[in-house]
Amino acid sequence: MEALAQPSESRILSIIKNIWQKYSVIVVFAVIIALSGIAAPRFIHPDNLLNILRNTSIVGAIALGMTFVIIAGGIDLSSGPVLATSGAVLILLQRMVHPDGTPVVPLALAILVCCAVAVAFGFLNGIIITKAQLPPFIVTLAVGIIARSVTMYFCRGATIMGNKIPQFTRIGNGSIFRIPIPFIIVIGLAVVFHILLTRTKFGTYVFAVGGNENAARYSGIKVDRIRIATYMLVGLCTGIAATIEMSRMAAVAATTSGAQYEFEAITAVIVGGTSLTGGRGRLIGTIVGFIILGIVNNMMIMLNISPYLSGAVKGAVILFAVLMQRRER
Amino acid sequence: MLSMQGICKSFFGVEVLHGVDFAVDKGEIMGLCGENGAGKSTLMKILAGIHSQEAGEVVFKGEPVRRNATPLEMQHLGVSMIHQELNLLNELTVAQNIFLCREPRSRLGLIDFPRMNDEAAKVLQRLGEKIDPRRKVRELKIAQKQMVEIAKAISFNVELLVMDEPTSVLTGKETKILFDLIANLSAQGIAVVYISHRLKELIDVCHRVTVLRDGYFVATKDIAEVTAQDLASLMVGRDVQETKVSEFAGDSEAVVLEVRDVSDDMLKEVGFQVRRGEILGFSGLVGAGRTELMEVIFGIRKPRTGEVLIEGKPVTIKSAIDAIKADLGFVTEDRKETGLVLCRDVAENTNYVYWQKTRGFFKSRRVSAANTKRMIDRLNIRCQSPAQNVSNLSGGNQQKVALAKWLLSGARVLVLDEPTRGVDVGARQEIYRIIQELAAEGVAIVIVSSDLPEVLGICQRVIIMHEGRVTGTLLSSEMTEAKIMCYATDV
Repeated sequence: MEALAQPSESRILSIIKNIWQKYSVIVVFAVIIALSGIAAPRFIHPDNLLNILRNTSIVGAIALGMTFVIIAGGIDLSSGPVLATSGAVLILLQRMVHPDGTPVVPLALAILVCCAVAVAFGFLNGIIITKAQLPPFIVTLAVGIIARSVTMYFCRGATIMGNKIPQFTRIGNGSIFRIPIPFIIVIGLAVVFHILLTRTKFGTYVFAVGGNENAARYSGIKVDRIRIATYMLVGLCTGIAATIEMSRMAAVAATTSGAQYEFEAITAVIVGGTSLTGGRGRLIGTIVGFIILGIVNNMMIMLNISPYLSGAVKGAVILFAVLMQRRER
Repeated sequence: MLSMQGICKSFFGVEVLHGVDFAVDKGEIMGLCGENGAGKSTLMKILAGIHSQEAGEVVFKGEPVRRNATPLEMQHLGVSMIHQELNLLNELTVAQNIFLCREPRSRLGLIDFPRMNDEAAKVLQRLGEKIDPRRKVRELKIAQKQMVEIAKAISFNVELLVMDEPTSVLTGKETKILFDLIANLSAQGIAVVYISHRLKELIDVCHRVTVLRDGYFVATKDIAEVTAQDLASLMVGRDVQETKVSEFAGDSEAVVLEVRDVSDDMLKEVGFQVRRGEILGFSGLVGAGRTELMEVIFGIRKPRTGEVLIEGKPVTIKSAIDAIKADLGFVTEDRKETGLVLCRDVAENTNYVYWQKTRGFFKSRRVSAANTKRMIDRLNIRCQSPAQNVSNLSGGNQQKVALAKWLLSGARVLVLDEPTRGVDVGARQEIYRIIQELAAEGVAIVIVSSDLPEVLGICQRVIIMHEGRVTGTLLSSEMTEAKIMCYATDV
């Protein structure tokens, strides 16, 4: 019970354990990169590495917001469908052009509306979860099903092509100094979020709400507001992810856009060491987490493994990550 | 019929029963009383097979009982216990609850519902109850639920029935019915052990009473030879501490917090005042409504009626943040549940309320580090660093962190609910010192405590509650443990 009364030997052990707890993700990350390099030398090629970063950025953006939700003790299963809905809104606005070819809605405004739609879904999730006091799992699952269905209705179940203007497609496909623009966006977002999580009162309250909701309430923290805010944050991230995703294809597919993204994002967060029970977690872990997922996807292709097996591998990765967390506790 | 001898039991290295003796005859109604934490429930849980003793022997019907007997074994031997909190499955029927895990089977191995319902009805009839065994327990009134518990116990061919505070949830009329039933069971040769704080009830219903105190056997008395007052003094009769606190010497007009006429399901027209620099205690037994009263003041519970005034002005407190803005502080009873975020560090836990009270979106690391250091020094919190998780601290240091949170917020009224529960002796003295320092600085202190020596040792005035009502107020010069216990048991 008494931490101070431990003999010195076990104290050294606990320090080592502490370091492992903090940096195990990085170690695993290094091992995965090394193994991948050995298994497929082409993996190390800069083009391939940059490609991985580009591909993984969409799920990565969602995972950043998801980290807040999970630290606050929640979960969001609606992100994938909401990405499709807000993406569809973006495409529908963006494809409207005047006869002379100029867009009816300026691109920036269209993106803003896309993000606003996603944030609105986050607000909806948050308000139902806190005011009706329902489990986040069920609420976001239901909202996700609604969002997917609404998207299919507006798209008549088909794929809608957008207006392939370079300003738009560049967001997802362009690079600056060879660094993919999507990855730059995600890293920028990560920096802002890192400050939000570690340097603001809001971030501290997110941890407090996830760690012990009652104690947070007794300390005067407006628990409901904090929880709603986390769902709005993941909504914002989903809107940004939708913008990148739509820009890459300049099209939205009613049934497949964003499919499974919520699970990939949750996987990234868990692999990154954030506790599913809430109260503990770090954004740097999430970043490493989604890059690991990107590498796994990439290696499946490199090693010529059937894409049908990718779920099997990812499932194993989740189990392994959660198992590691249990060990550490 | 039952004899328990030299029973010892420890929890987490602390001995709570020190060689207790206890015996009951066939058909006898034996009362069991003692203060909170005297060891009544623990002793009976050992008998019922829920805990196992470290030393001592239990002999039932002339046969020694195996030390690690399970509750089911004990039930088959004829010992059943009805707990303070009812243990029924609300979604199952009355009959299903009574025969849980021993349902009569048909030849196919399925549950034979008609037979089960018949047998349940027979058991209930023995109790003079007409509940339909097919009804779901959820639909029953609380007194009926208790009947189902008793029916379940009897269906095991019970020979000894333990009831832990059975009347705490019953109305006067229901209590009367229960007492008739107990007398009836006793006439059928079933022994009953009746645990209660309500000394008058013990006098009414029991043949003999055993008193425990701090885990020791004190006395077993025939009911004819004792009064409720005698029992109260037997319950507390430890060496009375002579270190009296001086009476409140500050300005008696400087009322900081006034509470008027608070009522809800639990509380009945409770009101009190506390003055600048005064240390006011709230005493009473578990379930007296003291914590609930504090929760009302702090905006956690919604009262039906009631008013809170800060320095004479009425304030509306709907949630903790309103209370914080009114400069109230509340160190809760259960620091793990409501006081601390255990998986976060000392610095964060110390600053939560401070940040609520200050403006700005960003938290200044410099300021919060300085705050934490100041609190660690002032309260002598022993931690490796401010970045250490609170879960790794000892109970006393955790309690100091919970206190630090409110010290830092500059509360004018500080409510401390069981401030030294689970705190070692050294830290306890430090907490008392801090409380006295705060009072000297002009903070009004309200201490809810079930620990009588603590109340006598630190409070300048004590308000005693019993079942949601204020039953007495004593100044430090008038306080004795026996007097407080009399008010607390309302004799």
